[in-house]
Amino acid sequence: MLTVENLHKSYQVGKTSYEALKGVSLGVDRGEFVAVMGPSGSGKTTLLNCISCYIPAGSGSIRLDGTELARLDEESLAKVRNQKLGFVFQDFLLMDGLTVRQNILLPAIIGGVISAETEKRADELCSVFGIAKIREKYPAEISGGEKQRTAVARALINRPLLILADEPTGNLDSKSSRAVIAAFEQAKAELEATIFMVTHDSFAASFCDRVIILRDGVVWQALERGDTERQAFQDQLLDAIREMGRE
Amino acid sequence: MRHFSEVYAALRRQNRRQYALLTGCCFFSVLLITAYVCMMRSPTILNVLPEGGDSRKQVMMIFVLAVLGCGVFTTYASGLFFRQKSRETGIFLALGATRRQLWARQSRELAAISLGSCALGAALGGPLAWLLWQVFRMCVVDTEEMRLTFNPAAYSLSLAFSLFVVLMLFYMGVRSIRRTNIIDVVQESHKSEPIRAVPRWYGLAGIGLLIFGGLLGYLMPSFFVRTLHWYPPDWLPSVFYLPALVGLYYILLHTVVNGWGGKKRLYKDLISTSMMKFQGRQTVRNMLVMTLLIAGAYFGSFYTPMLGTGAMIGYDARPIDYVYRFRADQDIPQEDEVRELAEKYGVTITSYAQAPMLRLAVDGTMSVEEKGTLGTTWHPEYRETLCSELFLSASGYTALTGEPVDLQSGEIMGVMDSDGGARYLFNPDVSLVTNYVTGQRFGVTAMGELENNSLPQRFVVSDGDFAAMSEGLPAAWQEVQVCFNVENVEETYDFAKALFYEIVDRSGPEAALLDVWDPVVRDYDLLHKGYYAYDPENSAETGVEVIDYAQRDSSLFRLYWQYMPQFRALDKADFVKTTAVFLILFIFIAIVCFAAVIVIAYTRCMTIALTHRQVYDDLRRLGAPQWYLYQSVRGQVKRVFLTPAVVGTTLIYAFYMLIMYFNGDPPGITATEAAGLLASLGVIAAVSVLLYGVYRVTLRAVCRSLDVRNVKSGA
Repeated sequence: MLTVENLHKSYQVGKTSYEALKGVSLGVDRGEFVAVMGPSGSGKTTLLNCISCYIPAGSGSIRLDGTELARLDEESLAKVRNQKLGFVFQDFLLMDGLTVRQNILLPAIIGGVISAETEKRADELCSVFGIAKIREKYPAEISGGEKQRTAVARALINRPLLILADEPTGNLDSKSSRAVIAAFEQAKAELEATIFMVTHDSFAASFCDRVIILRDGVVWQALERGDTERQAFQDQLLDAIREMGRE
Repeated sequence: MRHFSEVYAALRRQNRRQYALLTGCCFFSVLLITAYVCMMRSPTILNVLPEGGDSRKQVMMIFVLAVLGCGVFTTYASGLFFRQKSRETGIFLALGATRRQLWARQSRELAAISLGSCALGAALGGPLAWLLWQVFRMCVVDTEEMRLTFNPAAYSLSLAFSLFVVLMLFYMGVRSIRRTNIIDVVQESHKSEPIRAVPRWYGLAGIGLLIFGGLLGYLMPSFFVRTLHWYPPDWLPSVFYLPALVGLYYILLHTVVNGWGGKKRLYKDLISTSMMKFQGRQTVRNMLVMTLLIAGAYFGSFYTPMLGTGAMIGYDARPIDYVYRFRADQDIPQEDEVRELAEKYGVTITSYAQAPMLRLAVDGTMSVEEKGTLGTTWHPEYRETLCSELFLSASGYTALTGEPVDLQSGEIMGVMDSDGGARYLFNPDVSLVTNYVTGQRFGVTAMGELENNSLPQRFVVSDGDFAAMSEGLPAAWQEVQVCFNVENVEETYDFAKALFYEIVDRSGPEAALLDVWDPVVRDYDLLHKGYYAYDPENSAETGVEVIDYAQRDSSLFRLYWQYMPQFRALDKADFVKTTAVFLILFIFIAIVCFAAVIVIAYTRCMTIALTHRQVYDDLRRLGAPQWYLYQSVRGQVKRVFLTPAVVGTTLIYAFYMLIMYFNGDPPGITATEAAGLLASLGVIAAVSVLLYGVYRVTLRAVCRSLDVRNVKSGA
């Protein structure tokens, strides 16, 4: 469903050009929960930002459901972001002036398609992610974990093809992190969501079906979880990271 | 909530303080500019301020400063608004909103804010100016010519400024949405504005450049005119002030980034300095505007004490209580009638003298202007009949002043005032005197100067020469000089006024002339230019004001009538009335500028609370005690107020001293000027107390907003 081929991206820092992605290729299938890991500077957030169309890619191809994103104009890209992608950010990016329910409805409001059915779906998402009781509260009145679950619900309101999550547990304690990962699992299981998550947290990544490890802007290794137990998969991840550090 | 407009409405409610701040800033800027413009272009003001005169130039100069200040201030406020708003813009874009969609909503908001605030500001600007003027009329002085009228065309300037505010807001709005990199937009509110490392020598270099630029800007025009004989275009002298502006920027930059406390205060001021440093560009820009506005405001404020003190000292320095002159062909009250009138008013005349005077042509050198490829240049040209002056005989001078003068035939002396102020208008060094009617010429030798504050700008010749020079001179070229003293002069106002009215009422139309009117210059101009600008009949064409006996109490009449008597009691008592329009105008300008300074400083300080709440919460979590937080807030608020106030005040006071110093010939500060400068210090003290009060109120408001208590002791 998502195909990235030979993706390059450079940044200009002063007079020096710094290549963050040096030909990354990967694919994500429908209903898959994929994590991207890697040390700082490996290019994982850059990769996510390119897929999100937040920053233009240098060269290479990003196809979402068969559509080449680089060929889309600004209006079409906005439509892709609104209809086909859902976003979860490290610092939540909820609107402080809107309630939890209003925040969840925001992508639908932006898309201009809001009906009783959409509102019903928002309420269902609140129930699914355990935030129904706080749905009329404002972000300032709820915990970090609740904020992130709100963000996950918001990401799912328009039934996107793919959820892109940038360090979704980065600002959370372990209990909240667990709740957010549980929310992703739930979204995958109950709503058939496809999730592409950037994280440095091996615990969070250990819940995924596949983990892609980036190093210096290239895919260093990809690990399939298969039927492996979560704990064992996390150990595999940690071993791989240790090995990468030794090289 | 189903529509985007409802989302915007909810966010507006949430961010109402930011909206109020931006709306308030736009409203206030347009209000002040409109009030200023209404006043500046008011026929009431224009009728009194001479065309092309220094007062008009000063008013315009301060207006430019005010426009600059309000322009930068509204730009700052809108930058702050969009900076705060960028987070929600970024989230909308990240969630798939199109720029067109956002702009449609945002443009409506901006239209409401800008058009609403500008319209209200423009609508209330006129009434504000009127209201302030009426307060002055009620509390200070009220004369017929102070009836305020507005010129509707003045609103075009207000409209232009409003247009700038609207366009600037829309430009900033478009720019904030057009950012292509959503990540940058999302993170905008977390970004600081570091300024590059500022070496410590910037402080001293700034002071040096400021002094250098000030001197250069002030002295270069004189250099061009006096040494190069070239009149530079109006804009050129301003260029030489640029080093001063750069110096000012360096000083403020050094103050914000390094501070003046040295390494000892490095850790004490670490938080406050760092916070200001990382909003450096904005902070320095605001401080620069405030400094210039404070300087402009003081420039306006000093006008009243300088003029008032100078005038009062001048009146007291006159050795004779009552001095007037009139043309010999006029039927003006003389000794008998004056004594009769004095008796009627219970005034005792202690001494009375009158003497004949002659109006004769004198030689001299004048600057002849030429227009060429380089602009206007001039060359000196000697003329045997340059202009006319008034002549007294030695015995006449002695009779009037009681001072004996011993002059031989062919000798001449000029009368100068004690501080040499008349030197610009009168050259005592002449060598040829001509009876302009008969053409008879008399070679003379200048024997130095006499000093008298009541009879300056007159020549004294021997009695024999005086008689010879007067031969064939008609009454229109002869005058009578009257001088007398009275008992208790301060109590003779009614008499002074009655005598003044009598003189005016009995003066003929041929004497309704401006003080600059000169029959010799007139002849020359008629011959070479075909017209004389100061002839009343040319007034419609030249725009030069005319003397109207019906307006004998107007500023124009009292200040510029050729035969205006000098009655100490009248001049002193009517000083405020005579100069009311000038005084009130400059007080008004000062109020407008200081109001702008106060609003800018208050807004700038309140943004400390708006933008740094998180930092103060973090500091609390790190265990910072209340006194530390208080000191940090105070450090920033104090710097926003104190630095522009100290720099602006010092700058303008030094500049004023510079003007006073180079104003005289030879350069120096006269006793009158020193007294004026001292009185100006009083104004500085009063304004400083006011600014300190605003500083305290602002500090309290910022502390309250950040939940910081005023705990003084850190020990």
